Amino acid sequence: MKRVLVVCVLFASPLAAQGYRLRLDGRFQAVGFRGVQIDSIPVTDTVAGPNGGPTTPDGFAVRCPSGAAYCLFFRPGAVQRGAPFVTTADASLWGFGVRGLSAHATARAAVDFTGSAAWPGTDPALELLAGYAEYSVERLTARAGRQLNSNRLGMIGFDGASLTVRDGRHGLDVSIYGGWGLARGVALPVTSPALNPIADFQPGKRQLLLGAEAGWSGRLGDFRAEYLREVDPSSDYFVSERVGVAGVARPAAGWAVSAGADYDLAAGWWGSAEATLGYTAQAVSGEFGVRRYRPHFDLWTIWGAFSPVPYTAVQGQVSIRALPRVQVRARGERYRFSDADVSTPLVSVEQSGWRGELGVTATAATAWTFDAGYTREFGPGAASVGTSASVTYAPAGPYAITVHGAALDRPLELRFSESVLHLYGVDTRYDVSPGMRLELGAVRYAEDRRRPDPAAIDWGQWRATLRAVVAIGSGDNLDRLPPAVRR
Amino acid sequence: MITSLLVLALLQQPAQGFDHSKHKALFPSCTTCHAGVAAKGESVWPDPASCATCHDGTIEKTVVWRPPTAPRRSNLRFDHLGHAAKAKDKSPSCSGCHTLIGEPRMAVRAPVVQRCLDCHGIRTAHLAAPDTACVTCHVPLARAASFTRPDVARLPAPPSHAAPDFLSRSGHGAVSRQTVGTACATCHAREFCYQCHAGSAPPRAITWLASDPRSTAIAARAAPASHGNDFADRHATVAAASTTGCTGCHVRADCLECHRPSGARGAGYHPDGFLARHPASAYGREASCSDCHNVGVFCTSCHARAGLVASGVLRSGYHDARPFFLVGHGQAARQGLESCVSCHAERDCLTCHSAVGGRRFDPHGPGFDAARMRRKNFAMCTVCHGAAVP
Repeated sequence: MKRVLVVCVLFASPLAAQGYRLRLDGRFQAVGFRGVQIDSIPVTDTVAGPNGGPTTPDGFAVRCPSGAAYCLFFRPGAVQRGAPFVTTADASLWGFGVRGLSAHATARAAVDFTGSAAWPGTDPALELLAGYAEYSVERLTARAGRQLNSNRLGMIGFDGASLTVRDGRHGLDVSIYGGWGLARGVALPVTSPALNPIADFQPGKRQLLLGAEAGWSGRLGDFRAEYLREVDPSSDYFVSERVGVAGVARPAAGWAVSAGADYDLAAGWWGSAEATLGYTAQAVSGEFGVRRYRPHFDLWTIWGAFSPVPYTAVQGQVSIRALPRVQVRARGERYRFSDADVSTPLVSVEQSGWRGELGVTATAATAWTFDAGYTREFGPGAASVGTSASVTYAPAGPYAITVHGAALDRPLELRFSESVLHLYGVDTRYDVSPGMRLELGAVRYAEDRRRPDPAAIDWGQWRATLRAVVAIGSGDNLDRLPPAVRR
Repeated sequence: MITSLLVLALLQQPAQGFDHSKHKALFPSCTTCHAGVAAKGESVWPDPASCATCHDGTIEKTVVWRPPTAPRRSNLRFDHLGHAAKAKDKSPSCSGCHTLIGEPRMAVRAPVVQRCLDCHGIRTAHLAAPDTACVTCHVPLARAASFTRPDVARLPAPPSHAAPDFLSRSGHGAVSRQTVGTACATCHAREFCYQCHAGSAPPRAITWLASDPRSTAIAARAAPASHGNDFADRHATVAAASTTGCTGCHVRADCLECHRPSGARGAGYHPDGFLARHPASAYGREASCSDCHNVGVFCTSCHARAGLVASGVLRSGYHDARPFFLVGHGQAARQGLESCVSCHAERDCLTCHSAVGGRRFDPHGPGFDAARMRRKNFAMCTVCHGAAVP
C-alpha cells in the first residue's frame, strides 16, 4: 500500500488538472400496503374447494407440501410500512497526468428507515455496480475493474479487464474481455447468499468469463459479432457458451434494415432473433418485423434441461405526426409459441397471444402536453386491458407538473386473481439549478381483486416519492443535467 | 457559413451614435476622421479634440465621446490596410462597403455583408454561402480571442443545419469530413462536438478542430432524425446491431440510466405504470426480463411479500384456476419457464422430475441435445441422474 501511495504522489498531476464528475441520485419512498401472513391448517381439516383443490373451511385455497401433516396458506396480515431510501452514485475522474486515463465508479446504497424490511431491494445495502480504470485513446480502450457490458447477449457483468482496438478510418473494432463473472441481471456474484432463495445448486466459485466482439461500421451499415463463454472453475464445465451476430443496413435515407440472432452453443439451439424494416421521416416513422424469443438459462441451473420453447412474433409500429402538435402512435404484435411437445389433456393453456397499443400525444401551446393511451394484451398466463392519460404542464421555467391516471383490468389464466386496478397520481419536477433537480410525487394504487375465495386481499396503497439528483464536477460542459442523453 | 458575425461584430462598434449624414458637408473625405484606415500607425477613430473644434459649447453643444480602447469583439479576419493592399486597384471605396447600393456616400452603416459577398463572388445570401466561403472573411472561433460566451451563443445557425438529416452521419458527418477545419471551425471547436460525441472513439474529424471551451455556449442537444418520438420503444434492435453508431453520441452511463438494476430509478426502461401490468408482459415475454433482472433478488423479493412464492411442490394453492394444473403444467412451463423460476426453486420440480428420487418424469423436450449438454456440463446432469447419467 505504501508503494502505491508513493507512486501516486510521484505521478500525481497538479490539482488544477484534475477533472471529475459526480452524479448522486437519491430516492426516498414512503409506502404502506396490506401484508400477508402465512398460516397453516392440518391436512385433515381441509375441504374441497369449488375448483377441486383443498381449501380451509373459511375458503382460503391452501398448498399442501407432499407428505406434510399441515397445509399452508396466506391470510391478510397487518399493514406493512416501508421507507426505503436508495442512492446511486456515478463518479468519473480524469486528469491523472496521463492523457486518456480515467476512473469510473457506480455504486448503490439502500436502506429501509423503518427497519421492517417491508420493501424489497434493500439487501444488500451496498452494491458496486461498476468500478473500473480506463485508458482510452483513438486506437484503443483498456479497462480494468468491475464492468458491465451490454450487447445482444445481455447485460454481462464481470470483474476483470477488457481491451478494445479500433481502426476508425475503416470502421473496424475488436474487443476482448475476461474475468470473474457476475450473476445475470444483478451486480452480485453467483456465490452471493442473496441469490440463494432461488438456486438450490448454487456454485461454490464464481464463473470465469471470456468474451470477444468484433464490429464493422460503415456509411451503408454496421455489422457485429459476439462470443461469450463462462466456465465453472471448480469443475471446468461450461456455465454458458453463446455467439451472436447482428447488423443494420441503411440502403437509403430514412430506411434501415436490422437483423440479428444468437445461438446457444452449450444447449445447441438458436436463442432469440429478429429482423426489422424501419422507416423514419419527419412526420412519420414506422417499423415492421419478425422476431423470435427464447429465454437463456445458465448451465449451473437445471432449467435449460426443461427445454424452454421459443415464440415467433410478427410486430409493427407506426408513429405519425398527424398535425403539427398531434402525434398518433400505434403498435401491435402477434406471437405464437412453438409446440411444447407435451400432452396435457386436463389442462388447456393458451399457445399464442397478441398485444397492441394506441396512443396520442398532443401539445397545446408550448407548455401543455396531453397524452392518452390504450393497451390490450392477451396471451398465455395473463391478459390485460388498460387505459391511461396524463396532463403535463412544463413551462419554459425550471419546473413541471404531471397529473396522471390509469385503469387496468388484468385477469390471470392460471390463478383466480382477476383484478381491476385504478392508478392515479401526480409528479412534480423542479430544476433548482442546472446541476440539481428535485422531484416529488405521489401515486395511489386502488385494486379490486376478484377472487372467489377470501384471499382477495385489499392491496390498495399510497406511495410518496421524493427524489433529488445532483451533478457536480469540473469541466466546461457541465451546463445541464445529464449530458449527451436525450430526454 | 455563419458569417453573419459581420453583423454581430459591427453592431458592437461605437460609431453608431454618430450621424454621418448630418455632417456630410463638413467631411468630404472619410480619412479626415478615420485616418487609420489608410495610414499605418494612425487611429481608425477620430480624435475627440477634432470634435471639440465645433462642439465647444459655444458653436455647438459639447459632446462627450471617447474612442473605444478595448479590442473589437469580432471574428473577422479583415483590417482596412491589409484589405486595401491585397485588393490593390480593386479595393472598394469606403461607401462601397458601408452603404447600401444607391445610397449617398455619407449614409454609412456597418459594413453591408451582401456587398462583401458580391465583391468576393459569392452569389448567395450570407448564411447560405458555401462552406468554403466562411474563411474568406472569418477566422476560426479559437482565434477570435475577443469573443465572449454570449457572443458565441448568439451565432446564428445557417439554413443547412435545419435539414432533416443534418444530424445524421450522411448530414453533418459527411460535411464535417470536408470542411471541419474551415467552415465548421468558424463557429465550433472540439468541446462543442464532445457534447454529443462523448464516446471513447470520437470521429477523427473532431480532432481536427481546435480546443475552445467557449464553443459549448452553443448547446448541442438535438437528437438525430432517426430518433423519432417513439425511439425509446424501438431502439433495441438498432442498438443491438450497431452499438458503434450509438457510441458516437452516447456514453455507457446513458444506457445504464435504464439498463441496470437500480431501485433508485423510476419508470425508465419500462413505461409509466408498468408495475401494474407487468404480469401479462412477463407471462407473454414481451422482453427478456432476465437480461436486466435477476429473478432471485428482484422478482422473488417482491412476490414473497405478496404471498406469491412457492416453497414446496406444485399444488393447487397458487394455480387455483386450473384444478388439475399440477398434472398438466408441462406446456405452461415450457412456454413460460422464466415466470416459473420467479417463484419456484429447482427442488420444487425435482420432486417429480428426477431420475433418482422423484417420479421420474422426463422434463426434456424439443431441441434437447443430451450428448451436447453432457459434454458441456456433466455436473448439471447429475442433479437429476446421479452418477448414472445415460
